Amino acid sequence: MSQQDPSTINGGIVVAMTGKDCVAIACDLRLGSQSLGVANNFEKIYQYGKVFIGFTGLATDALTLSSDLKYKHNLYKLKENRGIQPEVFANLISSTLYEKRFGPYFSTPVVAGLNEKTGEPYVAGFDCIGCIDAARDFIVAGTASDQLFGMCEALYEPNLEPEDLFETISQALLNAADRDAISGWGAAVYMITKDKVTKTYLKTRQD
Amino acid sequence: MMTGQHGSQPIQHQFNPYSDNGGTLLGIAGEDFAILASDTRQSVDYSINTRLSHKIKAISPSLTAEFKAQNPKMIGTKNSILFGTNGFSADGDALTRQFEENWKWYVHDQNKSAMSMQSAARNVQHLLYGKRFFPYYVHTIICGLDEEGKGCLYSFDPVGSYEREQCRVGGAGASLIMPFLDNQVNFKNQYIPGTNSTERRKVDYLSLDECLKLVKDAFTSVTERHITVGDGLEIFIIDKNGVRCEYHDLKKD
Repeated sequence: MSQQDPSTINGGIVVAMTGKDCVAIACDLRLGSQSLGVANNFEKIYQYGKVFIGFTGLATDALTLSSDLKYKHNLYKLKENRGIQPEVFANLISSTLYEKRFGPYFSTPVVAGLNEKTGEPYVAGFDCIGCIDAARDFIVAGTASDQLFGMCEALYEPNLEPEDLFETISQALLNAADRDAISGWGAAVYMITKDKVTKTYLKTRQD
Repeated sequence: MMTGQHGSQPIQHQFNPYSDNGGTLLGIAGEDFAILASDTRQSVDYSINTRLSHKIKAISPSLTAEFKAQNPKMIGTKNSILFGTNGFSADGDALTRQFEENWKWYVHDQNKSAMSMQSAARNVQHLLYGKRFFPYYVHTIICGLDEEGKGCLYSFDPVGSYEREQCRVGGAGASLIMPFLDNQVNFKNQYIPGTNSTERRKVDYLSLDECLKLVKDAFTSVTERHITVGDGLEIFIIDKNGVRCEYHDLKKD
């Protein structure tokens, strides 16, 4: 097989948005091998305490990275005797990725959570060697990131209530995925507020 | 000739006949109107050649003194064709001029006042496919009114494959705007509340004002995120009264 781009073999997208005292993070459910669909239940979002992380890119690296971060999160809890804050987790991811500066993981993670002290919503994205993009509005990642940028830039407005933020992030994800052949096949949306986290599966096109 | 050693190969020069001039072109067909819009930046790599280039031309029968007096702001009749190209602007200009010449000879030879949209579309296909092995490097969109007076839009790939559609985006910002248009013009992924996602929101024609809002939103959004899109927005509107053109500023950074 000829040389290929590792970050677009498996396909998939993640998007995160901030709202009023809430954050949302969503992913599609497809796992593919180029044009071949392999699984429609491949969730890309993991929970670490009250922090949520979505991994896009090469699936094997995403899985490795998610396990490595689970290990590091457990150690953090044992040493510090407290939950990890999203800002701290973002820096942990950054240094984890930069350790592999010259042979990187082909994965671009997205962090979403609420700071437990301040209650401030926090989202952050990374490139595959750990450069943090701590945007105040939204973060997109994956094979349909162009489409997501277009959707988010047009639909997003600041300080949305959870119900409206849910609709916004869902429409952004769904319509972006429908213009990408290797994203879609189902979707999951997490809505995170101070005292509640809801997970919703969306009904999507199956082509 | 020496081979193998570093620096021993003869230097080869190659002429590249194409360049990418960036920009975005967007068309929406309404019930009794059509609009075609584009940004006015023309760039190569990271340099801006001009902040006011024109990617759209209204090809119209000549305006009578009476028409001009009655419609001072109109730049074309309702029989006009809005011709837009995006990609390699030299090819776009060449294609536009060639189509305009065909259009002029057609109305002259056939003693007609204008060319129908479906004839125009087929002619554009022939122009593009005629250069199948040295293509015009452009995404083409033409807008006008069909023979029933309904809004009409045809979009073409660089070698002439074409389709009549309700809306289309071409060029650098296509991947950003197209899903937005799917959602807001064709109501994709929108369902009637309370039906548990079983009943789709019915597709209906948008009003001209709604379409203009979408176009401006789409261009301000893509200007934020794409480096080759910006400076100005030129919107051509064709309806039963004729063709008019609006200009709006976009960010110049």
